[in-house]
Amino acid sequence: MSEPRSRLVRRVTTRGAAVVTATILWLGACAGEGEAGREADEPAQFALLTSGPVSDAGWYAGGYEGLLLLRDSIGAQVSHQQTRTPAEFDEAFRAYGNSGYDIVFAHGFEYQDAAIRAGDLFPDMYVVVSSGGRVADNVVPVTFTLEQASYLAGIAAAGMTRTGLVGMVGGVAIPPALGTFRAFEAGVASVRPDVRVLETFIGSWDDVSAAKEAAVAQLRQGADVLVHNTDAASFGVFQAVREATTAGDSAWVIGMNGNQNDVAPEVTLGSADLRLPAAFLEVAELWQAGELGGRPVYSGMEKGTVDYVPNPAVLDRYPPELLARIDEARRTILSGALNVPRVPYVEDEIGVQDGTGG
Amino acid sequence: MKGWKRKRGQAMLERRLPVGVLRWVGATGLAAGALGLTLLAAGVVLALGGYSPLRAGTALVSGALGSPDAFLSVTLVRAVPLVLTGLAVSLAFRAGVWNIGAEGQLYAGALLGAAVGLVSPGLPAPLHLPVLLLAAGLGGALWAAVPALLKTKLGVGEVVTTLVLNFVALNLTSWAVRGPLQENRGIFPQSDQVAEAARLAPLWEGTRLHWGFPVAVAVAVLLWWVLKYTPVGFRLRAVGAAPNAARVAGRIRVKPLTLGTFLVSGMVAGLAGGVEVAGVTYALYEGLSPGHGYTAIAVALLARLNPLGVIISGTLFGGLEGGAGAMQRDVGIPAAWVRVIQAFVILSALAIERWVRARPHSVFVHPPSAPGGAP
Repeated sequence: MSEPRSRLVRRVTTRGAAVVTATILWLGACAGEGEAGREADEPAQFALLTSGPVSDAGWYAGGYEGLLLLRDSIGAQVSHQQTRTPAEFDEAFRAYGNSGYDIVFAHGFEYQDAAIRAGDLFPDMYVVVSSGGRVADNVVPVTFTLEQASYLAGIAAAGMTRTGLVGMVGGVAIPPALGTFRAFEAGVASVRPDVRVLETFIGSWDDVSAAKEAAVAQLRQGADVLVHNTDAASFGVFQAVREATTAGDSAWVIGMNGNQNDVAPEVTLGSADLRLPAAFLEVAELWQAGELGGRPVYSGMEKGTVDYVPNPAVLDRYPPELLARIDEARRTILSGALNVPRVPYVEDEIGVQDGTGG
Repeated sequence: MKGWKRKRGQAMLERRLPVGVLRWVGATGLAAGALGLTLLAAGVVLALGGYSPLRAGTALVSGALGSPDAFLSVTLVRAVPLVLTGLAVSLAFRAGVWNIGAEGQLYAGALLGAAVGLVSPGLPAPLHLPVLLLAAGLGGALWAAVPALLKTKLGVGEVVTTLVLNFVALNLTSWAVRGPLQENRGIFPQSDQVAEAARLAPLWEGTRLHWGFPVAVAVAVLLWWVLKYTPVGFRLRAVGAAPNAARVAGRIRVKPLTLGTFLVSGMVAGLAGGVEVAGVTYALYEGLSPGHGYTAIAVALLARLNPLGVIISGTLFGGLEGGAGAMQRDVGIPAAWVRVIQAFVILSALAIERWVRARPHSVFVHPPSAPGGAP
């Protein structure tokens, strides 16, 4: 450790530190100036934030499709960012707020605290939190009543199981996910109360190998119809069922959070489809009409946002009476005669249950 | 020993100054050229993916430095945990302690800090924040104590133990936000927000930059001073350079020093977690850190383990990560691509630094010495 270098290094680093400090002081003095405004004739600006990759063929992919639909149908200028940490949530909201964005679709409950902060900071920007719970004048939670589709999936599972055992593989045990599983169980029980339902939460939305392990464990216990509620991790469930079928066992998988019938067409019974683009468009239209804000939005079967879609490739394997039974249940739900179980989590509904609204 | 080296060094410097300056310029030129080539290669990769390298580069720079707000609210805010964990790693490496566990120590700090921030309502307001930060440091030190004791008492290699404990801390946090620290409604896997009094205020109203930044800078200056000017710092560097020589020739008690360094390193990393909770997120989340504790190793190495250098390299990495977000937003480059580019730049920066340092006989560069070759 000879002196010449160390002295030079010291001088450089000390001066560097001094320059950095001085710059910060100067920047601090001139920060917080002018926010970008938007001219009336400019296109609407919509952004999407996701915590996972939009290549998951499910939850995030659907959000991204929704964003692209808004670009193509309304002519909005759109932008997307995948964020990893709560610190990045704040940063992204701020970047979009500073750029004068009209709506930021924050696609997951995890954004809700940052969304409230962003709503305070940028009163002209709407933050729409998918499956969020908190409400403000410009912070709008959107609840997709996927339970309705999951209930129908339960009917399908009960109609197809031979072993009398079906399984559910979930990501993180939060109310929106728990709700779909309670509804699935109710659907199963409505057909065959004797069928047992296994439940595993893997603690992650995109851990493919953990999901596969959980699915394999359920298959080994004798489950022959599996449903999932995860994001990218779902590929592990599909893979496990596909391998079991290749090995000679008969097993089915039911997709969720999107139409996943094409992921593994030969073993997929159907999907509890979530058509996020329809929901995004609904929100954008509310915004255009000046009716967005201050209350949650519910989007479900009535709006065409969710439905159970049997896989057309295996439609001939469904007993006809099962398909009729699913259609019957769908009609009952749409008529309002059947309230599918759900686990409430929106501020307004903890206590007050608001079925449709929007 | 030091005096002799100094005299010799000065003589060398004076004799060689003109040549030395030339070589310094040369080395800087080499570094700049190599960086240019790296960026060019990154541009080619982007172009192959069908993205405009020019727009990507513009977004990267403007996202990090494009406005005062970008620099303060993005780059510097992101720099805070990177500087603190980078300091933790630098300090440990200087003493020859291979602490790969800054990530876990950060989580342990965030966990204990948040717990204190949430459950001490009886505390006088002015004390709340210091107690939170102290608890965070304590959490990090406790987490580091396990591998530190295993190393000093049983001789267990700390690389594996610190690494493994990272995952334990991560899962402990996941458990805590679903169990004892879960928000009071018991719905989402996150804690409630800590009291106002326990938060680090913004440095300037209207920016996200909080008092954690000056705290990080102060810790850097303190560590630099201790390492450079105190007997403890001298012993620490001696142990890092050659533990056996330090023990035999220098009569330094290596184990207590190693233990102490490990604990302080963990404390600084834990402080990073506490500062994130108190200054940025205000609550405990399971995905609090995207891997700051790992990036910290690159931060420390790029700064050549010099605490003052860590301020600069931490800011550099903060800017790189902040600008990466803008590349997604403004140019539509997917996150996976952005991470490839980021990794590219980090690897190149480290390789260039090593490569330039390995050019002999120049004032700017110097033959490498043991971990902790810096002053």
